[in-house]
Amino acid sequence: MTALIEARGVSKRFRQHKRFPGLLGALKTLVTAEYAEVAAVSDVSFDIAAGEAVGYLGPNGAGKSTMIKMMTGILVPSAGSISVLGRTPHEQRMANARQIGVVFGQRSQLWWDLPVIDSFTLHQRIYDIPEARYADNLKRFSELLDLTPFLDRAVRQLSLGQRMRAEIVMSLLHDPKILFLDEPTIGLDVVAKDAVRKFLAEINRERGVTIILTTHDLQDIETICPRLIMVDQSRMIFDGELRNLRAALGSSRRLMLEFLTDPGPLELKTAKLTSDEGLRKHYLLDREDVSLVHVLGEIGSDRGLKDIALEEPGIEEVIRTFYQGRNAALAAT
Amino acid sequence: MSAYVAFAQSAFQTQLAYRNEVWANLFGKLVQVFARVAIWLAVYAGATSIGDVSLQQMVTYALLGGVITGAIRYELIISTIGNALKTGDVAVWLLKPVSFPLYVIVSELGRALFRLVFLVVPTVTVVALVYGMLPPASLFDGVMFVAYLLLGYAITCLMSALFGLLAFWLLTSFSLEWLMQAILNLLSGSLIPFWFFPQPFGVIAEHLPFAWIVYYPAAVWLGRLDPAQSLLYFGIGLLWAGLLALGVAALWRLASTRVVVQGG
Repeated sequence: MTALIEARGVSKRFRQHKRFPGLLGALKTLVTAEYAEVAAVSDVSFDIAAGEAVGYLGPNGAGKSTMIKMMTGILVPSAGSISVLGRTPHEQRMANARQIGVVFGQRSQLWWDLPVIDSFTLHQRIYDIPEARYADNLKRFSELLDLTPFLDRAVRQLSLGQRMRAEIVMSLLHDPKILFLDEPTIGLDVVAKDAVRKFLAEINRERGVTIILTTHDLQDIETICPRLIMVDQSRMIFDGELRNLRAALGSSRRLMLEFLTDPGPLELKTAKLTSDEGLRKHYLLDREDVSLVHVLGEIGSDRGLKDIALEEPGIEEVIRTFYQGRNAALAAT
Repeated sequence: MSAYVAFAQSAFQTQLAYRNEVWANLFGKLVQVFARVAIWLAVYAGATSIGDVSLQQMVTYALLGGVITGAIRYELIISTIGNALKTGDVAVWLLKPVSFPLYVIVSELGRALFRLVFLVVPTVTVVALVYGMLPPASLFDGVMFVAYLLLGYAITCLMSALFGLLAFWLLTSFSLEWLMQAILNLLSGSLIPFWFFPQPFGVIAEHLPFAWIVYYPAAVWLGRLDPAQSLLYFGIGLLWAGLLALGVAALWRLASTRVVVQGG
């Protein structure tokens, strides 16, 4: 199967006019033309096939939105190439626009003063959607996301959750092949987040709409996206299934051993002792090739072992540990 | 195409939602038109004509100026484009298969139609009943007036879009609004008709595109251009409109690549 989206060595650098601090600095800023280059995306490559749902995860400023803007054709890569549905997005922006849907969590595409339904009919006219298909889509999506109670209300009177649901429905009215969502669940309450996630997962599964979404929220990815691309400081650090992330980032499992009598400080070759409460001892298993069997073998049967507990770290924790390690490394240099 | 008609319709309807604003504007407009007429009454100071222009013609000119400039609020075109740039909403428009400047223009035309029907025509009728207004000099002049009026609106919109797009480089639309207002007051003939201008400024002003906004439509109504001249200047106006349209298209292309290349 050919890829719907191809990114090859994509980089984006922004030029920022260098500013100097203070009053004299302000004058200096006015007359100098010094620029600082900031890398937002560095050498990112991936393929996305039709029908996939991909989560694009990373902290603030990791270059997630920049990547979305390049794939939708509103930014041009500084280096590398992007192909969406066989086109270069920024060169054929209008043709590209007809086949993709885009939702920005922090920017509304609805008409502020108009009732929701009027925004939808304008959207129909912009994209030349045939009447029957429009009516059909509107009915289905409105039911799924429970839009009917506020279709006649002006957008400015909606709550954030209602507005976001309306934004998502509008982005799908013209049957886009790909749906891009930039932080679609940001600022929503638990109920609204849940509704949006379930809806997106269903659209992906039943209509085969390819979904690419950026988020800070791992729940989004767990519910919607089998595949995860993780970026940090403009670079791609992981591309694969969510459950493989732990192994890729080299996070440790935790082991707790409980004894009948305190065997004293018990150092092991297969696991690292992290805290010792006497009867209870905590270890980290930081090697993937070491299993529980190895640890038990090393301890032997004569130490009065009463109970064991092996704890897999949550995905949130894996990522937190990764970022903390990275920050510590930065501080050391 | 149907999308642009829809934009105009929806802009027209949105005006209905702000009824209080409509009444406030109606009152403001009434005062304004009375003031324009009062100025000319004072200037003539009892005389029935200055040169070959009668007081009655001058009052008519002022009323027509009110009709033309009262409907379109060109500063809204400039500020809409300026704000879209400042807030980054222009990115949203780059995602849609429509032209942003054309959207802004047709939306303003929709609102202009609303103001024309509900604000301008009623106020001008009231003032005309008080001070009297001359009918078009002939049927031909009347028809040409409508054509000139539409051309004038097109030129106003295109010119405002051009000014608005300059905000992409100057990053301030507010000063551009003031600049355009200053230019239009003088060079569209809305304050003083060109026949009262000292020469050669009058002739120069007659050939700048601003002249088609107020001066030519009003002059044609009053029959100050013979039919041949009337058609000739209409052609020149069309040329200006074409040039402005090309300018808007070129500037929009430049502006959108600027967003695309550097990031909004």
